[in-house]
Amino acid sequence: MADLILAIVRIAAAVGIAYAVVFVAALVNILFERRGLAVMQDRLGPNRTGPQGILQSVADSFKMMGKEDFAPTAADKVVFTLAPILVMVGAVAVQVVIPYTSGCVGQDLNVGLIYIVAITSFTVLAILLGGWASHNKYSLVGALRSAAQMVSYEVPMILGLLVVAMAVGSLSLNNVVDAQAGGRWLVFYLPFTFLIFYIASIAELNRGPFDLPESESELVAGYGTEYSGMRFGMFFLNEYAGMTIMSMITVTLFFGGWRGPWDGAVEVGGVYLVPIVWFLVKTHLLVFALIWIRLSVPRLQVDQLMGFAWKVLIPLGLFNIMASAAVMLWAPRWRIGMAVFQWIALLLFVGLFDRLQRWNLERRRQKVAVPG
Amino acid sequence: MPSRFETEAPDAAMQLALDRVRASEEAGRGSDMQGLGFNQVVVNMGPQHPSTHGVLRLVVTLDGELVKDVIPVIGYLHRCKEKLAEKRTYYQYIPIVDRTEYLASMNCEWGYVMTVEKLAGIQPTRRAEFIRVIMAELMRIASHQVALGTFTADLAPLGTALVFYMFRDREKILDLLEEASGARMMFNYFRFGGVRYDLPDGWVEKCRELMARMPRLIDEYESLVKDNAVFLQRCIGKGVITQQDVADYGITGPNARASGVPLDLRRTRPYSVYPELDFDVRLGEHGDVYDRYQVRMDEMRESVRIVGQCLDMLPAGPVQAGTLRAPYVIAPPPGECYIGQENPRGEYGTYIVSDGSRYPYRLKYRDPCFCNLQIFPKLLRGNKIADAVAISGSMDMVLGGIDR
Amino acid sequence: MPHVLPKIGSADLTIDEVAARLASEFGGDLVDVRVQEPDTVVARLDRADLKQVARRLRELPEIAYEMLNFVAAVDWLTHLESVYHLYSFAGNTYLELHVEVPRVEPELETVSDVWPSAEWHEREAWDMMGIRFHGHPDLRRILLKDDFVGHPLRKDYVDLVENHPNA
Repeated sequence: MADLILAIVRIAAAVGIAYAVVFVAALVNILFERRGLAVMQDRLGPNRTGPQGILQSVADSFKMMGKEDFAPTAADKVVFTLAPILVMVGAVAVQVVIPYTSGCVGQDLNVGLIYIVAITSFTVLAILLGGWASHNKYSLVGALRSAAQMVSYEVPMILGLLVVAMAVGSLSLNNVVDAQAGGRWLVFYLPFTFLIFYIASIAELNRGPFDLPESESELVAGYGTEYSGMRFGMFFLNEYAGMTIMSMITVTLFFGGWRGPWDGAVEVGGVYLVPIVWFLVKTHLLVFALIWIRLSVPRLQVDQLMGFAWKVLIPLGLFNIMASAAVMLWAPRWRIGMAVFQWIALLLFVGLFDRLQRWNLERRRQKVAVPG
Repeated sequence: MPSRFETEAPDAAMQLALDRVRASEEAGRGSDMQGLGFNQVVVNMGPQHPSTHGVLRLVVTLDGELVKDVIPVIGYLHRCKEKLAEKRTYYQYIPIVDRTEYLASMNCEWGYVMTVEKLAGIQPTRRAEFIRVIMAELMRIASHQVALGTFTADLAPLGTALVFYMFRDREKILDLLEEASGARMMFNYFRFGGVRYDLPDGWVEKCRELMARMPRLIDEYESLVKDNAVFLQRCIGKGVITQQDVADYGITGPNARASGVPLDLRRTRPYSVYPELDFDVRLGEHGDVYDRYQVRMDEMRESVRIVGQCLDMLPAGPVQAGTLRAPYVIAPPPGECYIGQENPRGEYGTYIVSDGSRYPYRLKYRDPCFCNLQIFPKLLRGNKIADAVAISGSMDMVLGGIDR
Repeated sequence: MPHVLPKIGSADLTIDEVAARLASEFGGDLVDVRVQEPDTVVARLDRADLKQVARRLRELPEIAYEMLNFVAAVDWLTHLESVYHLYSFAGNTYLELHVEVPRVEPELETVSDVWPSAEWHEREAWDMMGIRFHGHPDLRRILLKDDFVGHPLRKDYVDLVENHPNA
C-alpha cells in the first residue's frame, strides 16, 4: 500500500515537474522573445513589471486567467475544452526521454527518437481538434492548413533523425549524448542533416518564417479564433514551450546535450549539476536563434511553404539518408567520411539553392515582363 | 444575407459584392473548391485593419484563398476639404492642404501654393525656391521610409526590423523639419511667394551631415531585404501594372515609373528650380511589386543627391516675396489654374477656380492615391490574400488624400 | 503584345502647334481653343459631342490623350460645369475640356469606357455635385455615406440634419 502511494506521489511529482518545466520555459521564452525582438528592432521591450520586466509573463498569465471563459454556443463542448489541454501534452511528455544531465533521464527508452517523433504529433491532433470544435468554417480551414504544414515538415525531421540514429547506432537519446563525448558534437559531423532537421523543426513549431497559421488570423480565422482567455493562453504558451522543447531535442541530438567542460564538478545526491547549466545555456542559445530567424525572414506563403517541404527538403532528406548510409557502409571510419560528405553537401546546398531560386524567379519575371 | 458576424444589413458596397457573387453563381461560374463546400464568400476587410493602410475598407470576394473581386470603399476620412476651401481665404487654407497627404505634407502645400501663385502672379524668391525643393525632397525620403517600412512590415508583421530602422531615421528627418518649420507633420510652412521661416542657424550643416549619412542608411535598409529569397519570392512577378494600365487608370509616381513609364513631373513638366538640378528618374522594368519597392528605394537616393545640391547652391536672400501683411489676404484675378507637382505618391495638384474674391470659388484636388486606388480590383483579382496584402502595401495608399 | 506607351514628348510639338492641331482636327466641336501657359490647351465642348470627341482624342494620331488626370465639377450658379483634364504622353501637354451642364437636368455621357480612371472621378462628381453620367457602370456615392441626401458642393446646398440619416 505504501509502495502504491509512494509510486503515485512519485508519478505526480514527475508530471508536476514536467509541467512546471514547460510552463516556466514558456513564460521565460515569451519574455526572452519580446526583449530580444526589441533589442534587434532598436527599441525597448517590456521593462516595467518587475526588474527588467521579468514579471511581465506572470502578469500576462494572471490577465489571461482572469478573462471570461467564453465558448461559442454551437461548439462541441467536450472537444472545445479538451483541445487546449491536449496541446501541451506533446511538450510535456517528450521530457521523459530528454537527458538533462549525466545519467538523469526520466526513462531511458531504447526507442527514444521514435518516441519523440510520435509524441510531437500530439500538437497536430490538438490543433485539428481545436479547429474542428470551434464550429467555424475558417477555423477549420486554418487548422487544416496548420496540420498540413506540420505533417509535411515532420517527414524531413524524421529523415534527419534517422541519419543521427544511423551515425550513433542507437535510437536512445542517452546513447546519442554519449556518442558526442569529448567535444565531438554531431553538428560538426552532420551539418547538412542538422540544417534539414533544423529548418523542419522551425516549421514544426509554426515559428519564424513558417507561421502562416498565426497570420491567418488577420483575415481568415486561424484555429485559435474562438478561444479566449486561458484556453487561448494554452495554445499560446504551447508555442513557446515547444520552442524550448524542440531546442532541447536539437541540443541533445546535435550539440552534445549536457556535455561541456567541468562536467563532474558539482554533485548533489548523485546528480551532477554543472551539465544542467550547460544544457540550459545551449538550449537558450538555440531559442535565441529561433527568435533571430523569426525577425529576419519574411513569412512564407502557404504554397511556398508546402513547395519547400515537398520539393526541396524531402528530396534532400532522402538523398541525405541514402548517401549517409552508403558512406557508413563503405567508409572505414564513419566520422571522417560522414563529415566530408556532409560538409560538401551543405556548402553545395547553401551556395546553389539561392542561385537556383533567383534564376527561377527571374524566369517567372520575364514571363510577365512589361516592355518599354 | 448577413452572416452571423454582422448584425446589420449589408450596405451598398457589400450588397454590390453579394449581387455579383449571386450573378456569377447563377451564371454557373461558382467555386473551384466544390469538394470543401466553399462558395464565394464576401469578407469585409477594414476600415480598421492591420493590413490596409489607413481607413480603407475592402469588400473582398473570396473563393477559398483566391481573391475574386475587390470593391474598395472609401470616404471614412472625408473631411469636406473642397467645401471648406470656399469659405476660407487662400492663406487660411494652407494648413488644411497639409492634411491631405499627411505623410508628404510639404509636397501637398507646394502643390497648392504653386497654383495660387500662378493665379495671382506671385513669383517666389530664389532662396525660397531652393528651400522648397530641400523640404520637398526631405519629405519624399521620409514618406518613402514610411511606405517601404509598412510594406515590409506587411510581409511579416513585426517580424522584420526594417520598419523600426526606417522610422528611426525618419525621426531624424522630422527633427530637421521641425527645426525649420515648427511642426513634425502638418508644417504650415509654405507661403505665397516663399516660405514662412528662414532656415535656422546651423540647419544647413545638420542637414548636410544627415544627407552624408543617408546613403549608408539606405544601403542598410536594402541589405536587410534585398537578398532575402523569401522576400523576393513574394514580390517578384506579383501585381504587375502594365503601361496600358498606367494610362487607363491615371497612375502616376513611383507606381508608374516601376512599369517603365518615365512620368516624373520634375522632369516632364519642370517647376521651381528642378531644371537646374542634376538627378535621374529611376525606372523599373516589369511593374511588379519588387520594382515598385526598388524604385522607391532608388528615389530615396536621388532625393539625397538633390538635397545635397540644393544645400550647395542655396543663395542668400529673402524667403518671402513682397510683404504680405495682415490680414494676409490675396485675391487672385478671375481665372482657373491647375499645376501638378511630383508627390512621393504621384501627381498631386489643386485645380483652383478663382472668381476674383478672396475665397477660392472651387478647389479640386488631383490626388495620386485616388487614381492609384482604382486599379486595385484589377490588380488583386486572381491573387491569394497574402499576395493581395503585399500588392496593396506596395501601392502606398494614404487615405488622407483619397478621402480629402 | 501589350501596349507600350509612346515616349514622353516624342511628338515634339510646341503648345501652340498642339492647339492649332486640335483646332483643326475638331473644327466645330472644340470651341474657344486657347493656350494656357506653359503647357495646357483649354477648350470648351458641347455636352452632346463629349463622347465622340473623347474617343477621338484617345486615338488621336501623334498626340493621343491617353491619360485622364481628373474630372472636376464646378458650380457656376447658372449652370454646372464638368472639367476634364487630359494628358498626352507623346505631346507632353495637357488638355482641359470644359463641358457645360444645365442645372435642371445635369446629365452627361460617361467617358469611363474611354478612360477607365473616369469611373471614380465621375462618381465623385455625382456624389458632390449631382451630375449624372449616363452609361456609368456603377454610379453611387463614393465619399459620402450611401444614404446621404443632397449634393454638398453645390452653392445652394444647405446642410440640414435630414441630410445625414444615421450619422
